Amino acid sequence: MRVTWRAVELRMLLPLLVLVPLGFAVTHIAQTGRLEPGPLGLAIAYVALMLLAHLTLVASGFRGDQLMLPLVGVVGGIGLVILNRLPQDLAGTSAFGIQLGMAGTQVLWFAVGLVAMLAVAIGLRDDGILRHYKYTWAAAGAVLLVATFQFGKEVNGARLWIDLGPVQFQPGEFIKLVLVVFIAAYLAERRTLLAEASSRVGPIAIPPLPYLLPMLAMFVIVMAIVVFSKDLGTALLFFGIFLTMLFVATGRRSYVLIGILLFMGGAFVAYQLFGHVRVRVDNWLDPFADPSGAGYQTVQAIYAFGRGGLFGEGLGQGLPTINGVLPIPFVQTDFIFAAVAEELGLIGAFALLALMATLVFRGLRIAVLARDDFSTMLAVGLTASLGLQTLIIVGGNLKLVPLTGITFPFVSYGGSSLLASFLMVGLLLAISHRSARDVAPPRDEP
Amino acid sequence: MIATNVRRLGLYLLLGFAVMSGGLAYWQVIDAPQLAAREDNPQVIAARRSQPRGTIFDARGAVLASTTVTDGVSRRTYADPAFSHLIGYASLRFGTTGIEGAFDDLLIGRADPNPIRDLVGQILARRPEPKDLTLTIDRRLQDFAAAQLGSSVGAVVAIDPATGAILASTSTPTFDATPISGDPEPAGAAMDAIRAQPNNPLVARDRQGRYTPGSIMKIFTAAAALDAGATTPKTTFPDQPKQETQGFVVDGFTITEHDLSPVQPALWDLSPALQVSSNIYFAHVGLELGAERFLDYARRFGFCSPLAIGPAGRELQVLPSYVTASSDDGCAPFSDQVELASASFGQARVDVTPVQMALVAATIADGGTMPHPFVVRDVRTHSDAAPSTSILETEGGEGGRGVVSSRTAAAVRKAMIDAVEGQLGALYAGQGAVKLYGVTGVTTAGKTGTAQRGEGQQPHSWFIGFAPAQDGATPAIAIAVLIEGGGSGAANAAPIGGAVMAEWLKLKAGG
Repeated sequence: MRVTWRAVELRMLLPLLVLVPLGFAVTHIAQTGRLEPGPLGLAIAYVALMLLAHLTLVASGFRGDQLMLPLVGVVGGIGLVILNRLPQDLAGTSAFGIQLGMAGTQVLWFAVGLVAMLAVAIGLRDDGILRHYKYTWAAAGAVLLVATFQFGKEVNGARLWIDLGPVQFQPGEFIKLVLVVFIAAYLAERRTLLAEASSRVGPIAIPPLPYLLPMLAMFVIVMAIVVFSKDLGTALLFFGIFLTMLFVATGRRSYVLIGILLFMGGAFVAYQLFGHVRVRVDNWLDPFADPSGAGYQTVQAIYAFGRGGLFGEGLGQGLPTINGVLPIPFVQTDFIFAAVAEELGLIGAFALLALMATLVFRGLRIAVLARDDFSTMLAVGLTASLGLQTLIIVGGNLKLVPLTGITFPFVSYGGSSLLASFLMVGLLLAISHRSARDVAPPRDEP
Repeated sequence: MIATNVRRLGLYLLLGFAVMSGGLAYWQVIDAPQLAAREDNPQVIAARRSQPRGTIFDARGAVLASTTVTDGVSRRTYADPAFSHLIGYASLRFGTTGIEGAFDDLLIGRADPNPIRDLVGQILARRPEPKDLTLTIDRRLQDFAAAQLGSSVGAVVAIDPATGAILASTSTPTFDATPISGDPEPAGAAMDAIRAQPNNPLVARDRQGRYTPGSIMKIFTAAAALDAGATTPKTTFPDQPKQETQGFVVDGFTITEHDLSPVQPALWDLSPALQVSSNIYFAHVGLELGAERFLDYARRFGFCSPLAIGPAGRELQVLPSYVTASSDDGCAPFSDQVELASASFGQARVDVTPVQMALVAATIADGGTMPHPFVVRDVRTHSDAAPSTSILETEGGEGGRGVVSSRTAAAVRKAMIDAVEGQLGALYAGQGAVKLYGVTGVTTAGKTGTAQRGEGQQPHSWFIGFAPAQDGATPAIAIAVLIEGGGSGAANAAPIGGAVMAEWLKLKAGG
């Protein structure tokens, strides 16, 4: 295996050397008034992990995209700085007899995630295992889904955790991955055959059966998630990923429109039938109607945005406590973006959004450069998943869409989310490596 | 083709990120000041618990409200219960009221009166700097007015007619605001104790009490009719002397006169009619004016909609006063001529606040211009004991609003002087009691009111007036005095009005 110097990647990783340790130092000074080396340990560990990942790619002769890792590194670094700033007893684990706080646990998961990413990026030399066993993947996803419905643990009104003794995980994060793989394989296979065929009812082009059936199936699955898991965010994300991929495969906006109408119809029925949906929507429309009750979380997040202003309150200086408790419940997961915006201000929050947008564009570039339809569709699905997830949770934080409990990729606290996101980036890297390796003339370089 | 679709998808996702950025900018910059002012914002709560709060001084620099911070907990102390309704309280448990509420953003220092400094402060997320307020009120006059009311239930409102500066605004019974703004538990107990008292001491009767005005409303009726050209000061009504004894039949309903003895009815024009406070005369005046013009002038005088003391955005609300039944957009039309005739002498459905009637007096005093009332004179940088010399903003000076012509005002002023000091007037209003004790060479203008209520209830006692009122003098004070169920206006409200006006003239002369 020949070594490839990944100079761009290394150069783009350099800012991390300063960014994360500085963030930890500023937080520590703001919170204690002292400057000590101890709290920087986690920051250094994080930066070291990223550099190690880079070196592994270099050593393995990896020729894929050089911006993905730095982008993930900076986005994750901002998230880690904020998680480190929050009270560390909000979450955490004890591993190997060592009590890890929230940030410590997150760094541990970063390590696991990076290993998984590298394994997929370097190890997955052939995508046959994904493409040819698509129905096996789909079946695995279905089993996970039903298992969640059946054995899932309800937390905060949504049933999305499976408890396996020492480890708890959110199957939804992995179902998402399987879903993208299956849809990519399915659409890539049928794309050429059926791109043109559609029947018309009046002015609306009805998708042909091979598209219509999956759309209806997806719709049923998504509604099942709403009903059984009460997990609106995942439902919205899944359907969004499907419609996005369908759009890219067919180029038909009308299919997306039909899907959206279908979803809105379903949402309306769900609003009428289910209390938990109604509460979410009513809160979205007017959280200030019940600012200390149902609307509390949203109202407190909006206050956090307001406090942040243009330049932010500064690390460790925002988020005033009420009777010793942070004002925003689940600030470390659902509302991490509000915490970023409060302490780093509009400037910092803009930067985070811009980084995510760049990551999305990088993913779409990989899709365009991919050598076959399956790879393209897979890259589109993975990228859309990361992008839509960001938009849905940020929109929920900002009260632009109803709030749903999903994570901000690489930023929110949580092992399942982090691992799934790293697996997605791993797949994207693998796709980019194959198109670079084959040196096939790109179809149309953007 | 698929590449094109991917590019389009990129565009849509970019659009999504752009929308998010817009939402972010909205909350973080555009709506941030409004969010920062909301009571349940943890930042506001934290600031209230621990930060100093601006001092409130009277016009001469006496401390009325101050805050000490001990062990990270701030405590607010109020020096004078006569100000409890006006200044209000800043309570962790019960929120903020009065001036504390209206000027809250400045007092806790989340805002700066200078818009540029305010913006810079927000952009740089500066720590709040409390600002101090100086009132237009001399504490000595406020205390004097409260002492005059004594144990009566009522209110005194005094205004400088030229500027609109509030000189006194007090309501009885009052309460101690200090415990209410303290720790939540004792504050709750203190509040319960206040609520258990009779006559609800929490109501600011000067701004939030509404009462039938009775005869003081004749000042409005006279001014409106003169200004509209419906009557002149010399207008008489031929049937009036006879109707004084036999009653005035309007649409089948007989309006009767109050007890005019010892005066014998005669053919009166404006001055004697106002001196004896003839209901029949003013019923005629109101009917001459007509329902539409009556309502039109009522709105010009500020009736039919909420009034505000202070600058826009930081105003103290005054409940709307009504001349007819209240409707969604102010005053409903008169239901019939009987209601119009009765409203003309302040009965029927007329329902007014003391602030509104003080403004009517101030309008006549200021030559027909209604001043814009304000109670905070200036905003200064923070200081604990004596007012800082660094004035950040001066309030007031908004200029008045022309309501009636100066000719009209002069004619009404003359009639009001007669009503207090004229031969007939002295018999009623006077009974010699609207004298400015200890002040010589000053003429007073005024009108008493004895507002009839339901069967078996004591009438409300009213007085409105101003001084000095002689030709060429600029009135220094206009006043409204109300005593709930206080009986005769002449016997009870008028002496208080005279005493408070005299006290102010003495205080002004003494410096």
